[in-house]
Amino acid sequence: MVTADRRRGRPGGHRRAVSPPGRARLRIAALAVLALLVQATVAADLRVAGAAPDLLLVVGLAAAIRGGAAHGVVVGFAAGLLGDLYASGTPVGLEALTFCLVGYGVGALRDNVLPAGRLLTPVLAFAATVAAVVVFVVLGDLVGQHQLVLAGRGALVRVTLVEAAWSALLAVPVSWAYARAGRGSAGVDRLGGRPEVLAAR
Amino acid sequence: MAVARRSQRTRTLLFALLLVGVTLVTIDSRAAHGGVLGQVRGRLHDGLAPVQSATHAALAPLGNFLTGAADYGSLRAENDRLRRQIAAMQAQSIAAAAATAEAQAIIAGAHLSFVGSIPTVQALVIDQGSSNFDNAITLDKGSADGLAVGQPVVAAGVGGPAGGATPGGLVGSVGAVSAHTATVDLLTDPGAVVGVSLPGANTGTAEGVGPGSPLKVTVISTAAAPPQVHKGDAVATSGLPLERYPAGIPVGTVASVTTSSTNAEPAVTLKPLVDLGRLDVVEVELWSPQTAAGAAPAGTAGP
Repeated sequence: MVTADRRRGRPGGHRRAVSPPGRARLRIAALAVLALLVQATVAADLRVAGAAPDLLLVVGLAAAIRGGAAHGVVVGFAAGLLGDLYASGTPVGLEALTFCLVGYGVGALRDNVLPAGRLLTPVLAFAATVAAVVVFVVLGDLVGQHQLVLAGRGALVRVTLVEAAWSALLAVPVSWAYARAGRGSAGVDRLGGRPEVLAAR
Repeated sequence: MAVARRSQRTRTLLFALLLVGVTLVTIDSRAAHGGVLGQVRGRLHDGLAPVQSATHAALAPLGNFLTGAADYGSLRAENDRLRRQIAAMQAQSIAAAAATAEAQAIIAGAHLSFVGSIPTVQALVIDQGSSNFDNAITLDKGSADGLAVGQPVVAAGVGGPAGGATPGGLVGSVGAVSAHTATVDLLTDPGAVVGVSLPGANTGTAEGVGPGSPLKVTVISTAAAPPQVHKGDAVATSGLPLERYPAGIPVGTVASVTTSSTNAEPAVTLKPLVDLGRLDVVEVELWSPQTAAGAAPAGTAGP
């Protein structure tokens, strides 16, 4: 009984220690849920030329930029799944697939090719959002979501460019938040948020 | 060595998640957005509805400002165009009024069975679509308020063509419903099809092409002569048997008519009466083809 109380962290028992990577995972999950809340409440009202920012995609991209391919794959998939469950026009899993693929691509580039730089985050976010929209529309068309392409090339280009601009704008603060949230995880510490660097800030 | 191992692990994870994603897409597509995943979606919408209602009301002015700033050039051009149109319309007002009255009389005479007698539920739009590819809106009312999939949705307090006194225009139909929220598939959604009445006792279907684009009208049955459709004509739902909408709901005005030598029927496009990008309050008609049929003597249902 005492053991059970301790395990559940009840009064009288000791709280179970969560490892730094575990705490990082919890903070990252909280960041993704917060992004969903903001997306559902605020982002849809911030349309410019008919296009709104996609904060969940930005979280996936921030994960890839700050944490590398492993973070990009997992966080991208989870953020996409949250977006899928909230959206209503496309099947569940389509955004998850898209964000997962793009997260891997961006993360792999970040792991192997691209060095850190001031302009890296917004430029990469812009390019990756364009790629994400293209992948989403192509995959959607393949699985029978033909309405995604019926709007015409002009409308698609407009939505893609505006959404990419939003991503470039939001990627800087979101990736900063991701680096803070992901402190303690191997990927973030290796790429973007080394403890000694963050401690010095 | 460690880097290679890490890359291999990441690739394995990627393939596993891709497999999960493909499975989810397949399951949800086959369930037509219903099933367990549909229920999860409904619960999530219900949970977020109170927060959305509060923030939407607070942030709508900021959204309108951003939209207005982005559309400034086109609004100015639209203003100039409208001024010229008003001048032209003043000269043609008598003929236009007569034509409009005639069209309305045809529509009214053909189908006036239950417009105005259908009970409605007023609902607040709490989300204009979170995704850029989501051609739907979310309402703050759900099945607990009597809403059901397929019910027609019209905009409240919108004037009809040429300042007419229609009660509003068609917005779309309820596509999914949870206890406290409902998702409305808009008229402009590429999957949306509405049966419409055209002048000269013709009927047709109006199909959505995408947000911001006029509906594409296909004439499906004509009287002896090809339909005489003119720009600005008012078009309403036909309400024919098996249609998803009752008769007489104004849908839009004819935006363009193109005739060709190869096709007897003109190519017609329709501009929705309601600005679907800026909806705040809508009315949901508690109507379905089944309830309309239920008004007829029952007795065939059940063993």
